[in-house]
Amino acid sequence: MTQPVKPLLNQLTAELKAAGFASGQIIMADESRACYGYDATRQSADPMLVLLPESGQQVETAIKLAAKRKLKIFPRGAASGMSGGSIPSSDGIIISLTRMNRILEIDQENMIATVEPGVVTGELQEEVSRYGLFYPPDPASLSFSTLGGNVAENAGGPRAVKYGVTADYVMGLEAVLINGETIKCGNKCVKSVSGYDLTSLLVGSEGTLAVITKILLKLVPAPESVKTSLLAFPSMSAAALAITAMFKNQISPSTIEFLDHHSINAVRETLPFSLPAAADTVLLVEIDGSSTSVMAQSQKLKKLFENKALLLIEARDEGERAQLWTARRRLSPAIANLAPHKINEDIAVPRAAIPAVIARLEQLSARIALPIVCFGHAGDGNIHVNVMLDKNDPEQAQRGVKAVDEIFAITLELGGTLSGEHGIGNTKSAYLDKEWSAATIAAMRAIKQAFDPENRLNPGKIFPTPGSQPCH
Amino acid sequence: MTLTWQQELKKCVKCGACMAVCPIYRQTGREEMVARGKLNLIERVDLEKPAHKKEIPAGWLEAIDSCLLCCSCEENCSKGVKITEIIAAARNRQSAKQGLNPIKKSAFALLLNRFFSMARLLKAGSFMQWLLWRRLPRHSGLVRRLPLPGIDDKTVIPALPRQQLDDYLRKRKAAPNLEPVLYFPGCATRYLYPQMGLDLIYVLEQLGFYGVVPPEFNCCGLVTWGAGDSKSTMELQQRNLAVIQKHAAIRQIVTGCASCGHALKEYDGLPADCEILDISEFLFRHKEKLEKLVGSRKLNRKITYHDPCHLRKGQKITAQPRWLLQLIAGENFVEMRHPERCCGAGGTFGLSHKALSRKILAEKTRDTDASGAEIVASGCPGCLLQLTEGALLAESSWEARHPVTVLADLLKNDAGKENRKEVE
Repeated sequence: MTQPVKPLLNQLTAELKAAGFASGQIIMADESRACYGYDATRQSADPMLVLLPESGQQVETAIKLAAKRKLKIFPRGAASGMSGGSIPSSDGIIISLTRMNRILEIDQENMIATVEPGVVTGELQEEVSRYGLFYPPDPASLSFSTLGGNVAENAGGPRAVKYGVTADYVMGLEAVLINGETIKCGNKCVKSVSGYDLTSLLVGSEGTLAVITKILLKLVPAPESVKTSLLAFPSMSAAALAITAMFKNQISPSTIEFLDHHSINAVRETLPFSLPAAADTVLLVEIDGSSTSVMAQSQKLKKLFENKALLLIEARDEGERAQLWTARRRLSPAIANLAPHKINEDIAVPRAAIPAVIARLEQLSARIALPIVCFGHAGDGNIHVNVMLDKNDPEQAQRGVKAVDEIFAITLELGGTLSGEHGIGNTKSAYLDKEWSAATIAAMRAIKQAFDPENRLNPGKIFPTPGSQPCH
Repeated sequence: MTLTWQQELKKCVKCGACMAVCPIYRQTGREEMVARGKLNLIERVDLEKPAHKKEIPAGWLEAIDSCLLCCSCEENCSKGVKITEIIAAARNRQSAKQGLNPIKKSAFALLLNRFFSMARLLKAGSFMQWLLWRRLPRHSGLVRRLPLPGIDDKTVIPALPRQQLDDYLRKRKAAPNLEPVLYFPGCATRYLYPQMGLDLIYVLEQLGFYGVVPPEFNCCGLVTWGAGDSKSTMELQQRNLAVIQKHAAIRQIVTGCASCGHALKEYDGLPADCEILDISEFLFRHKEKLEKLVGSRKLNRKITYHDPCHLRKGQKITAQPRWLLQLIAGENFVEMRHPERCCGAGGTFGLSHKALSRKILAEKTRDTDASGAEIVASGCPGCLLQLTEGALLAESSWEARHPVTVLADLLKNDAGKENRKEVE
């Protein structure tokens, strides 16, 4: 820590303690602070101070005391983010919300859960399931990511095709502004149009507008049963046609995941079942709902694709279901073996554009001589694009950067977006103006300016800063 | 190829999956306490740096010390980072710098000393223990009689038996008609729970096997490894390997201790044709025979199962103990919620981090309570002791027992009621 900072910090911590912070909630030691400066993007920066508040009031206190000294604030959940959303700077304070992890209420009558932001998504799901209720958003990180982080990034997941994303479940919020005041927005009403919809504005704002301290989440009745099937097709376009056919035939899957042929090859050997050699695209389809409806839809699925698909396996029990999912679960570690590094983007396109994107990426891969592995959520058009490379080879690294430029160009040309569920953070901010016009970005900046005129709340995220470089 | 701990560290991509399963993180909510944070600390704080020549940063010490070595993070790591190896290596460097904790140092010396041995010390203790400790009414184990420093009236310690496993086995007759297997009982079974060892030997005999227990077997070395004493660990390993070499005609080594099995399986230099088997694995190999033996007998009490970390996460054994309990109890075997969660014992962790360990234990106790079982089975003496303490703290009436003990009781129970003499 540089010398002039020390007296400032000593004074600040003294005031925090006077205001009720216990010494265990204030982390100053160099080595410990360093554990709050990274996320899943492998970036790292040490904050000047880390606070572990245990109530909304403590968040207010911390932000007010920081405001007096014009210090920057970086909210942090589980820091499992994929776009650098919680990466601090060395002159900022991390507010880690992991200790605010109480489920405050499960209102069964209105089917609404009230939670603190540090509650782990999977834990809420487990808790509400005891009441026959269901919180559908299922980001891959759900067993460790927090709801606060999910709301801030508007996290999605495989179930989005039927159930939507986090935003579709946030009924209301409490959040602390950069001046230390708490605002409340939304309520338990299904219909609610009084004033601006600040809830929707804060969802997906990546911690740049306010620090979320309480969340009201909509719950739905838990589906009675789930049926999982795996289908293999000779081409991506055949798989895309199959998806369209499902919807046309009133089959409404809760999940449609796909694996392209690179992905298939990466996991083929490790699978507990064998895939035909001609399989180019694999779809993993889940149908959920009442037992009778699931049965009827599954039968329809079987009838439709028995002859058209190269392979159709239907899981008969939980064990077989887990086996089918191994194809998807083993993917990330398996493709990591293809090259020392990967650049991972999570573009999204309108569902019908998937075959076109995959074909264009195939051409790109040939042109830049780097494998591009695609898999992800075919149901909602969200594709995880992985450029496999060795960054230690400067020439390959350069081709990788070029590939990302082109991936985004292709995506936007086909009516897509830079990020389906990871957010912009600091890794994609340099590309924001490729997607949005100057006027649109100016409107976004005006909102940021209104909430945070001094740019002290999670600065450096979403908006390109002068000289900011994309980070992969 | 084995990677160095430095190379192992680099495999971590900080995805955060360890946060989902780390018992310490679950209780503290502190990033330094989860594998990802600990690895970051180890990477960032270079102990060889002049700045750390005299003093190791307090945050580093606390974090590295606060690990149960339960391997939960390893089980959940998609990159396969050998996290416990990195932690043990860090503790090793720490002890090289600061020296071992004096209590651990003298305890480890006892493990290696052939004359002033752990066996003799504990036997001496068995005569004196009643001065300070009293028997628990409903459970096996002791609690203090009088106020003792650092030990409250709910801390359960095992009763030290006057007759240790080796004493019983000295009187044993040879059985040339039975097929020999090596049995590695482990310190807890030898010195603290001889009945557990006798039960295991009994079950082996029923299946036609003779459990050979060489008295020269030493501690498996897991405790010294976990404490960062690589020198003692190597020494213990070499001695045990020598015993195994000596019995070259026997290729199977069984153990009823999850931690010992985990340690033995990791030995460098284990003969290639030698097999280490947890007792549940061994019994599963003789499935038909055991099913026939059990016949129509069924345990008529509700029983649940706690996965010992060193069995589930250390050895990837989950199905065999469940098969065994299903065989013993049929429908009376019920799963608790989160059987995979650590009980908080972690070798000496329960003693050195009492408050934290008990918070972890409290959740396990609640899940056991909720199962409605009268018995919680677990193939690890450390877990059994911890679970007994949990029952005492929560005033719950279930008891913690080794699956093999439950099985032995069932097999001995011909008349349909229990008639066995507990070993004092």
